Amino acid sequence: MRRRLIAGLALAMVASTVAACGSDKDSGGSGTSSGGVDNVTVGVIPIIDVAPIYLGQSKGFFKTRNIELKLEAGQGGAAIVPGVVSNQFQFGFSNLTSLMIAQTKNVPIKAIAAGVSTTGEQKKDFGALVVKAGSPIKTAKDLVGKKVSVNTLKNIGDTATRNSVRLAGGDDKKVNFVEMPFPNMQAALEKGDIDSAWVVEPQLSAIKAAGGTEIASTFVDIDPKLTIAAYFTSQKLIADNPDLVKRFTDAINESLTYADGHPDEVRQILTTYTKIDDKTRAAVILPKWPIEINKASVQKVADLGTQDGIFSSAPDLGKLLP
Amino acid sequence: MTSARRGNPVLLGFAGLAGLLLILELVPRLGLVNERFLPPTSRIAAALADEVGTAVFWQSLGDTLYAWAVGLLIAVVAGVVAGLVIGSVPVLRELTASTVEFLRPIPSVALIPLAVLLYGTELGSTLLLVCYASFWQVLVQVLYGVADVDPVAEETARSYRFSAWGRVRYVLWPTALPYVFTGFRLAASVALVLAITAELVIGAPGLGKEIATAQASDAVATMYALIVVTGALGVVINLLTRTGERRLLAWHQSVRGEVSL
Repeated sequence: MRRRLIAGLALAMVASTVAACGSDKDSGGSGTSSGGVDNVTVGVIPIIDVAPIYLGQSKGFFKTRNIELKLEAGQGGAAIVPGVVSNQFQFGFSNLTSLMIAQTKNVPIKAIAAGVSTTGEQKKDFGALVVKAGSPIKTAKDLVGKKVSVNTLKNIGDTATRNSVRLAGGDDKKVNFVEMPFPNMQAALEKGDIDSAWVVEPQLSAIKAAGGTEIASTFVDIDPKLTIAAYFTSQKLIADNPDLVKRFTDAINESLTYADGHPDEVRQILTTYTKIDDKTRAAVILPKWPIEINKASVQKVADLGTQDGIFSSAPDLGKLLP
Repeated sequence: MTSARRGNPVLLGFAGLAGLLLILELVPRLGLVNERFLPPTSRIAAALADEVGTAVFWQSLGDTLYAWAVGLLIAVVAGVVAGLVIGSVPVLRELTASTVEFLRPIPSVALIPLAVLLYGTELGSTLLLVCYASFWQVLVQVLYGVADVDPVAEETARSYRFSAWGRVRYVLWPTALPYVFTGFRLAASVALVLAITAELVIGAPGLGKEIATAQASDAVATMYALIVVTGALGVVINLLTRTGERRLLAWHQSVRGEVSL
């Protein structure tokens, strides 16, 4: 009798141990009003692009709208879309290509505010294709048959690169892409593992400082007004609490406008959530933060991505964009 | 422990570490690797000094230690209890053997998507990975420990009509204890590795996340400084568990038989 009891207990335990392991803490952070104030968690990536939301937080743009903001800087953004869908985060920051991929897979999300845009100036953008000092590659056309690194395959990096190669008159089908995190690209470039790297700040500045040269401003090549990323939320939150979404959007827009007008404060706020050193901080090219999502430019990315086979079907921007 | 005969092991240990630091200082200075990708020891030390002065560093260290300790505790308790029960019931042992062997080699990091889905970037994600990895370390050791019980002692206890609890308390547990400690020591290291990995990859709060942020910020020296901290943490944890093991098992033959330091 006793033995059978022990056996039963043991079975139950084995079955539940793994499940029980992680479940002693409830996933706090999400939640709504407490005394008229909404607690909001936003999933962001700790890069320059999201400086406005940190700045807006410190300026109190969210507090005045009764939003208590908590910023969760996840790595690489892998956790952001699932985080928003599962309501771990009420809002998130992601590049529009990733959002369009999610949209074509019917993930219930919707962009609610612009995230970050190109500066629109050739050779003075915050993302570019670069080669190492002394490389024989001079333009995007020379990338044919060469190896180019992007941070994520089948995303904005290879679409933008292919586009620039085509514009320069090369055959984009003959460019070889490899996936590599941004911080590893400079070493790979100098070692000769790759011929060119598609990078953003602060790595762009670092590579240029080491003598590398820019061969194409890929964002500008797509559209001088290209909106690259956006803040988004779940369709459920839009349906359940449109007032909160409205207040959050207003606060974000105020933050974006403020950041665009105060580059010095942007460079300063970077010290609070990145570890970019002072020299690089002064040197990096800041993006633009207009408040409108430039639909025509996003449509171009959608078309390019569809043409390159990144999307399983053409993204429905009417459903994705506000 | 044989090195004890050749000189003071603590001194030798420090000399080894100093040698390593010297090599790491020289390698970039001699141009064997680019200084940008591996800064000399002195620059890493300077970056470390800067980091130690920030509140964020201590907060992250605390977060990592908390995740490590909680995860380890859950894994050890679950592992010991499950191990004792499964180990002492032959049917269960047969029943679970293949399942354990199937689940054990699955790398904890493979559970990252699941962890993210369940807990986002919260502590729970880290705990899931830590528990999964450490649990098997403990469980398998405890199973070995239980199997190691002297059949004569076991039969003797039975003949004297020890209760089930008595047999566990006086026969099973003392035999299994050194294995439990070995499991604990292994799990303690594995838990630290997994805690930092989870923070690094998922972005859960802690030292790993700081390393990732430093990497994304192109702050190479700071990144190495934080990696050094995690290494030092591993050494400290290992030293503590070994010392604890030696103290608490001082009565046991496996420790008594050792050449003392």
